[in-house]
Amino acid sequence: MAQTYARGPIGQSTLRVEDDPLLKGLGAFVDDVAPPKNTLHLGFVRSPHAHARICSIDTSAAKRLPGVVDVLTGRDLVDLMKPIQVDPDKPGFKITHRLAVTIDKARFVGDTVAVVVAENPYIADDAVEAVAVEYEALPAVVSLDASLAPGAPKIHDYIADNVIYENEQKTEGFDAVFTAAPHKFVRTFRTSRIAVASMEARGCIAIFERGLGTLTFWTSTQVPHIVRHALSEMLGLSDSKIRVIAPDVGGGFGMKAYLYPEELVAAALAIKYRGSFKWVQDRVDDFLTSNHARDQQYKMSYAVSAEGIIKAIRADILVNIGAYASFPMGSSLEANGGPRNMPGPYDFAQFAFRTRAVATNTCPTGAFRGVSAPSTFFSVEGMMDTIAKELGLDPVELRRRNLVTKFPYTNAMGQRYDTGSNGECLDRALELSGYVAYRRSQPASRLLDGKYRGIGVATVTEQTGQGASRYKERGLYRVPGFDAALIKIEPSGKVSAFVSQAAQGQGHLTTWSQIVAQELGVVPSDVTVIQGDTATVPFGSGTFASRGAILAGGAIIRATKIIRDKVKRIAASVLEASATDIEVADGYAFVAGVPKMRVALSDIASIAYSLDARLIPEGEEHGLEAIAHYDPPTSTVSNATHVAFVAVDPATGAIEVERYVVVHDCGRVINPMIVDGQVHGAISNGLGQVLSEALIYDESGQLTTTTLLDYHLPTALDMPTIQMEHMETPSEITLGGFKGVGEGGVIGAVPALAGAVRDALSPLGIEIIRLPLDPPYVLSMIEAAKAKRTN
Amino acid sequence: MKPAKFTYYAPETVAEIIALLGRYGDDARPLAGGQSLVPLMNMRVARPAVLVDLNRCKALDAVSDDDGTLVLGPMVRQSGGERSELVRRLCPLLAQTLRFTGPRAVRNRATIGGSLAHADPVAELPGAALALDATFVIEGANGRRTLKPDAFFVGQLTTAIEPGEFLREIRIPKAAANTVSAFIESGARQEGVAIGGVAAQITLAGEVCQDIRLAAIGVGSGPVRLTATERTLLGRKLSEALITEAAKAAEDDVDPTTDLHATAHYRKRLTVALAERAIKQALAGPRTN
Repeated sequence: MAQTYARGPIGQSTLRVEDDPLLKGLGAFVDDVAPPKNTLHLGFVRSPHAHARICSIDTSAAKRLPGVVDVLTGRDLVDLMKPIQVDPDKPGFKITHRLAVTIDKARFVGDTVAVVVAENPYIADDAVEAVAVEYEALPAVVSLDASLAPGAPKIHDYIADNVIYENEQKTEGFDAVFTAAPHKFVRTFRTSRIAVASMEARGCIAIFERGLGTLTFWTSTQVPHIVRHALSEMLGLSDSKIRVIAPDVGGGFGMKAYLYPEELVAAALAIKYRGSFKWVQDRVDDFLTSNHARDQQYKMSYAVSAEGIIKAIRADILVNIGAYASFPMGSSLEANGGPRNMPGPYDFAQFAFRTRAVATNTCPTGAFRGVSAPSTFFSVEGMMDTIAKELGLDPVELRRRNLVTKFPYTNAMGQRYDTGSNGECLDRALELSGYVAYRRSQPASRLLDGKYRGIGVATVTEQTGQGASRYKERGLYRVPGFDAALIKIEPSGKVSAFVSQAAQGQGHLTTWSQIVAQELGVVPSDVTVIQGDTATVPFGSGTFASRGAILAGGAIIRATKIIRDKVKRIAASVLEASATDIEVADGYAFVAGVPKMRVALSDIASIAYSLDARLIPEGEEHGLEAIAHYDPPTSTVSNATHVAFVAVDPATGAIEVERYVVVHDCGRVINPMIVDGQVHGAISNGLGQVLSEALIYDESGQLTTTTLLDYHLPTALDMPTIQMEHMETPSEITLGGFKGVGEGGVIGAVPALAGAVRDALSPLGIEIIRLPLDPPYVLSMIEAAKAKRTN
Repeated sequence: MKPAKFTYYAPETVAEIIALLGRYGDDARPLAGGQSLVPLMNMRVARPAVLVDLNRCKALDAVSDDDGTLVLGPMVRQSGGERSELVRRLCPLLAQTLRFTGPRAVRNRATIGGSLAHADPVAELPGAALALDATFVIEGANGRRTLKPDAFFVGQLTTAIEPGEFLREIRIPKAAANTVSAFIESGARQEGVAIGGVAAQITLAGEVCQDIRLAAIGVGSGPVRLTATERTLLGRKLSEALITEAAKAAEDDVDPTTDLHATAHYRKRLTVALAERAIKQALAGPRTN
């Protein structure tokens, strides 16, 4: 039975408390933190070669520059820290090692070969130029094909075939079902490597307190606790002596859910020299060295009945993992993201897949909003459009015939969907978009006012809020999976909430205050949320993978329950009533049904902290605080339907998104305005991946897109007006009924936009199997299709 | 991303500017709005030893009408030019083009002279300057000299400005009566660097094309006149069919190369499409008095 929830602060579009300071320029990012006097600045000497043996490093000229304190090579640093090692000793995994500063070989353009320490960042850049490295260039592999080719150069000597991770699974009875189906369809989809390009790039300040022997480490991260634990383990300083603080973080999107080599070096040098070290990354370096994403290929084979029912799916997935596996997500993250998301909203029982993470001489790849799912659904929904066309069905009708509409449901990967609204979201999105009327009036030529115009519909799911058991299952042992909240009603009666996460724009200070307020019967403005500082907030996982609302929400609900019960007991004592008769609302504890018999929370707090004439009731401990942890049983699945309308200019190949409709279900909504923002932002990510974003390595492994002039992020002007509605189907397995929402927008936008372009160009027989659809590529497809027709 | 070491001067008069540029010659670079030079310096692609900041010199940001010629100081901000009533009246094409030269925040800093002197092959203003038949006034220790666009734009990121000189003035003849104009460009995004663009200025006698100047950007090392298209249209009545036909000739006017953002083939096709649209868009707009 679906639970019903009381009205209150949850569900209100409370204005974000974050926005006022950010809009006034009062945000404090890593570079705004005032470092101690005499802080030294780091510069990293990056390899200009994609693959090269390091023959010699001459640091003498750099060391002679005034203001240069030291220049260190990998050999100088190797004893200060353990190598970065992440993946487990499990079948399918190959354990790799990465030195923060490489010694033997450079494995991508941007791999670090030396570190300079200087009095200011200008001198550091001068010194970086003055370090003379002699390289012996080696043949480089950049693409999936080149890396897998027989006799390809090895990225790591101990991995013969460049395959770092491999996973192959097949459901029982797959072959017979696949063979028996009357229709088979095979297509191969390819998505370009893209960059997160967060507005704030990476950076950190490592401060060693000489007297106490402690390290304070400011860093632009999504995972302060994971960073602290890793620093402790790799540098040998106990975690109790390390404080990691993520101040305001200007975007992370998964890219900052990692420990990076520069962080290790800064912390190691702070400990070694008992001083302070700072590094702030620039945009070019961000493009070269911050994890990329989604350089992937999907070969999809579908077996389908005469009625268009999917009987079996086989997928062969390749992901380009780059030169190294990254801590803590490892080499399997993107590779497994494909098959894990592939069943999506569709009902089929037979599934076979092989997925491989392939090493190349490129920047490591990793998590980026949706991980693999945007590329996965590009492939899945591309297949649905192809099958519909081939079987003469409307693409929406084909989807409807295959949608999961009865819950709970267990998919072909064995994942359980507790609740969902696939059919309802589709219906409402069709209604809002006027799909049926649009199809009816759409000309077969797709030409309207001189442009090809089309519509794309995508029905997608988003896996959110994964708990500890899921991460263990996936072999991601370095991701705890749970989160925690420490809630205090302070002596004044106001509330502090210390949450184990670290926001990068999600609005946690607002949404967590709404949950606390709801549970403790106060107003959100009475709640102060503290997060991102390992010295004050309890241990937990951090903010990534659409987990904040579920994990923090659950922890807050559990912690506030403990406090609420104590409030009731104290109130019962004051009011001479039974605790079971006490309710808490509007800042008071009162006797149910007798609202005049009440005591203010501030009075209860005074009693609890012994700041009142009254003693705390016998048997109660002083204080009014509680800590609780929350680990959801499995993942929770959000769902959505996206409808995109595009126009393609036949003469230039330029695409304009003219209209956009999305109906979304992320369970119980905490703050509708913030959910709107999450979906809007994610759609802009998807629009970029489809229309313009591509990181391009040339054959020698040089990254040719290292500025925002060459890497084409969309701007507000490229965004359509988005019409959005929320459905609320609460989860039955998470506390509070929340589902995650951070990634769904991009997961739906990529296939919907690609599908709309396909529909617009359908008279030419064009299928969309590669991204991005930049104007020259689109025009080349149009010209090739027209040439084929006339031949 | 920190620039290499440089010496910074902020002169307040033209005489001081010329003295500094003369003293440091090839080592010096004038700083206008800084929207291209500063990022290049931060990336250490540009490493001038001496920066001569023109921003304090008040004589350089005037807009005036010199007896039918629009005279622009090099430090006129792009947003200022776009808003200038004088610019709009005398040279509508320049105002039209300035809408495309960057996001508003950039246009508020960036200058007209800075963009012209930077000579980026996909920058909009060199194309407009060519279509407008602008005159470039260059000044140095030896006085002033004037150049037309074909002599001013030497190559990619290169102009005829010599060490010791700077772009002192841009002079643009007032659009004749019955002139129409348009600038359009196209790329992967609405805003951001375009792949190509076309500036068109046409003077009509009734429906007949009396004078036409078309310039394309993004198809060579500098702006390129679309002379074959112009020739096809000159002296003729501009029907839709003729315009479409004439635009096709633009393919022969340009000889682009393939780069990161587009193939040579695409750039040719784009030029044809944009030439046709620029002419049609110009004709759909108001004529000058």
